Amino acid sequence: MSIATGQVQGVGQSLLRPDGTLKVTGEFAYSSDLWLDGMLWGATLRSPHPSAWIRSIDVGPALAMPGVFAVLTHQDVPGVKFYGLEHKDQPVLAIDQVRYQGEPVALVAADHPETARRAADAIVVGYELREAVTDPRQAAFDPACPQVNPHGNVVRHQPVRVGDRFTADVVVTAEYEVGMQDQAFLGPESGLAVPAEDGGVDLYVATQWLHVDQDQVAPCLGLPKEKVRLTLAGVGGAFGAREDLSMQIHASMLALRTGKPIKIVYGREESFFGHVHRHPAWMRYEHGATADGMLVYVRAEIVLDGGAYTSSSPAVVGNAASLGVGPYEVDNVWIDAYGTYTNNPPCGAMRGFGAVQACFAYESQMDRLAEACGLSPVEIRIRNAVSQGSRLATGQVVDTPAPLAGMLRELAAMPLPGPGSTDLRALPGGVAQTTHGEGVRRGIGYGVGIKNICFSEGFDDYSTARVRVELLGGEPHVLVHTAAAEVGQGLIMVKSQIARTELGIDRVTIVPADTTVGSAGSSSASRQSYVTGGAVKAACEAVRERLDKLRAGGASLAEVLAAGPVEETREYRHRPTFPMDPVTGQGDSHTQLALCVHRAVVDVDVELGLVKVVELAAVQDVGRIMNPLALEGQIHGGTAQGLGLALMEEIQVRDGKVLNPSFTDYLIPTILDMPPMRLSILENPDPHAPYGLRGAGEPPTLSSTPAIAAAVRNATGLALARVPIRPDDIALAGSALAG
Amino acid sequence: MKDFAYVSAPDVATAVRAITEPGAKFLGGGTNLVDLMRQNVERPDTVVDITRLPLDRVEELPDGRIRIGAMMRNSALAAHRLIRTRYPMLAQALLAGASGQLRNMATVGGNVLQRTRCPYFVDLAARCNKREPGSGCDAIGGFNRNAAIFGASESCVATHPSDMCVALAALDATIELESVRGVRRLPLVGFHALPGDAPQHETAIAADELITAIELPDLPVAARSRYRKVRDRASYAFALVSVAAALEVRDGVVTEARLALGGVASRPWRAHAAERALMGAPATEESFRRAADAELAGAVAQSQNAFKIELARRAVTATLRQLHLPGGAA
Repeated sequence: MSIATGQVQGVGQSLLRPDGTLKVTGEFAYSSDLWLDGMLWGATLRSPHPSAWIRSIDVGPALAMPGVFAVLTHQDVPGVKFYGLEHKDQPVLAIDQVRYQGEPVALVAADHPETARRAADAIVVGYELREAVTDPRQAAFDPACPQVNPHGNVVRHQPVRVGDRFTADVVVTAEYEVGMQDQAFLGPESGLAVPAEDGGVDLYVATQWLHVDQDQVAPCLGLPKEKVRLTLAGVGGAFGAREDLSMQIHASMLALRTGKPIKIVYGREESFFGHVHRHPAWMRYEHGATADGMLVYVRAEIVLDGGAYTSSSPAVVGNAASLGVGPYEVDNVWIDAYGTYTNNPPCGAMRGFGAVQACFAYESQMDRLAEACGLSPVEIRIRNAVSQGSRLATGQVVDTPAPLAGMLRELAAMPLPGPGSTDLRALPGGVAQTTHGEGVRRGIGYGVGIKNICFSEGFDDYSTARVRVELLGGEPHVLVHTAAAEVGQGLIMVKSQIARTELGIDRVTIVPADTTVGSAGSSSASRQSYVTGGAVKAACEAVRERLDKLRAGGASLAEVLAAGPVEETREYRHRPTFPMDPVTGQGDSHTQLALCVHRAVVDVDVELGLVKVVELAAVQDVGRIMNPLALEGQIHGGTAQGLGLALMEEIQVRDGKVLNPSFTDYLIPTILDMPPMRLSILENPDPHAPYGLRGAGEPPTLSSTPAIAAAVRNATGLALARVPIRPDDIALAGSALAG
Repeated sequence: MKDFAYVSAPDVATAVRAITEPGAKFLGGGTNLVDLMRQNVERPDTVVDITRLPLDRVEELPDGRIRIGAMMRNSALAAHRLIRTRYPMLAQALLAGASGQLRNMATVGGNVLQRTRCPYFVDLAARCNKREPGSGCDAIGGFNRNAAIFGASESCVATHPSDMCVALAALDATIELESVRGVRRLPLVGFHALPGDAPQHETAIAADELITAIELPDLPVAARSRYRKVRDRASYAFALVSVAAALEVRDGVVTEARLALGGVASRPWRAHAAERALMGAPATEESFRRAADAELAGAVAQSQNAFKIELARRAVTATLRQLHLPGGAA
């Protein structure tokens, strides 16, 4: 993607994204638009049952259909039959049993997508139904519960133990629940696998991490890694849902079998079964404090339902445990965080990654504590806020700026929106005329979140950048090549801005991401500006050093480059992190911590239970603003996703089955639900990070949910211990309110 | 999706002849049928495209009635001056349904024949008496947050999802049906069936009939009417409960009331009991509440939807209250 500029557009400037207009006008080429003449279409047969033995698979009727080129089952997997991000426990295709509704069982390649779907439907699978394990607490704690996986029903149990004083003057205890949220990206799983002459495969796919896909795909195909080459195709959103594989191995298997390019595109319904979701959570919290609101202890039990396979559940559990008390100083902590296996849909990465669920609970607790101590929600948070030098529950010392108290003061001082409008669109229920203002009560709530940036717990987290300066048409030109996935977050802009700032050359081309350059790590954990940004910066510095030497005699840049291009490749690593102690949870498990605080103002029609979020205000410390426009978009988007979790987004699962796999029935906020935002962005640099920047994409997703929930509680007086909060939770519980 | 033959009908005569083929289905806007065909819930052998039929007008008849062509798109009907001024609850109900894109495609006739959004109806692995008679009902005791509170049976607890029909029920609309056998008219109230032990029979339409028009009576009270919808987000969501209401009050006494509820039954639920309670009653909060209570006395909750009863009570009361306020209509 080429970015022609007439002036230096470097770090700190607002730049319009080159893909933005194309996406808005429908011209952007997504992975679902890939096309090769002569290609075939792949389709996936999935289990309709959450738990069953497979007694037989008859592919005969499918193979007999005209236009069908191949029908594959687990017997046709050329290499290793399992894959996975952390444990390789997920079958490429189900072998003798299925463990969740939607698990892939067989594949078809045909000359038309409809033919492929029909052929998949024609495959006869003999299922013997098993009882589905669907209660995660039963799965984890009832020894009589059937084992979903051979290695038990607990994916990970991570305790945190510090201090020994678990009594206090003021104690608040409650149970909280977070429903299963979907990433709800708009571009469904899709890609194109092209068989190569060397017996390998070239895979064009929308993903978050090309190299981890390669690492998983190659062994399953029985190929060396160099014969599985990946190129990033146009990504229509990710939010964690593209961390796990979806169609990558399947399309490659079909391509190798048929010798033809294979395209697979999931439909919307299939997409709900094609990726992991956010772990639903059951949490019991007990907070003890002195009468003046100083935290004495926190006890918590957190159960995260990981569903049928491991995915990234262990790391999600680690985050819930290590960040389980939030950004507060507390000397005595007793946390048990569990991830479980059940026959529910697999859950894994989603924006916020384990920190979101805990944040809803600990922030709800802080409000309860404030009430019990007679303090304002802001005051109790300020009294307990971490700052630089604080020790977290894991023993890790916050060694970079963490001005939480100041952020809260600034947030509380922001002007409040005026009284309720008479514009229907600004009222609860909107244009459905549920109210013209009568029965509406206003509420204000605050939320605070802390998120680890980059990979934690000792993971070797790095990125690679290749930067080349050469003459093109007589002009100096920079090529930046990384494998980092642009998933909509704006990294392509940040990379070009860094190159311009470091090299002082306007013309920068971002080479398409592929596996011909070293790994960039995942576009997740809010880490790409930090890690890939750091790699680009390091490679630019190396190039600049060489150019400076070459020009030492006074030659111009063009003269130096006339002799040939200058190219350098660099890997960049952040400070190492360390595992959590398996018994005490102690350890410097995170490299960077980011804070965001939200204030929500809501109007609630207490009679009908309808909520209108009137305004969301946020203060976030990003260390260094790389691109103001893109940053604001990230904060708006993350906040909206948190609003969705607070008020409407939930995959309805019953008896292991998903009941709302469509955007008609799975509700995400529309522009009528999302209010204007008021932002204050702080720049307290992290000296360990490139430019002092701090990852920014996830933190707002944490704090907006509890802020909105708190505002609804403030308006209604209801306890509301579960999100999403729905009209029934308010209207039914609030029978006494209506009068 | 299975193979099907496609016929495009230029006129009603051709359409009603084509539909006599076994397994034929009419295709209007396709916003519901095509989805269900993709999910293999609907499996027609022949699709008769009726989008070219000249049934896309609103006419005022000499006796003051309004005749709405069945191919009229939802958005066009909602925007029509006669509808907005004389039957505001209908325009509001249409605009409360679906999304702008869907309303531009969806037709009036198709809206009447919409299928339920009960999740088990479209899950081919689930038991559903409506889709597969005799198989059972997984919604009973299952995920039934949005199930019926009126008229459900042990066979089916599904609701009719239309907003438009709720207003049509309150307005005493008539449906015109045409087939090779002739033309007949049926009142909309009662057109949709209660499930009983045969939930697969959803309406009174015969397999060979085409909806050609909806007729609205000349109903002055309808000018003072309102449609109110309670849903999980501010747009593009089905009703948890909705209310279509018209009210006339003279000297503080209710002289005419029209009331229907949506999202509560397998049919748009005309609230006759509430209307009777209102007639002649003083136009007070207490009367409105009593009317709601009278209707909801017959409501029965499923395992997850008891809240709908209270929500319906409040929505009815509040709608009547709003209509009675000065300037509260439309």
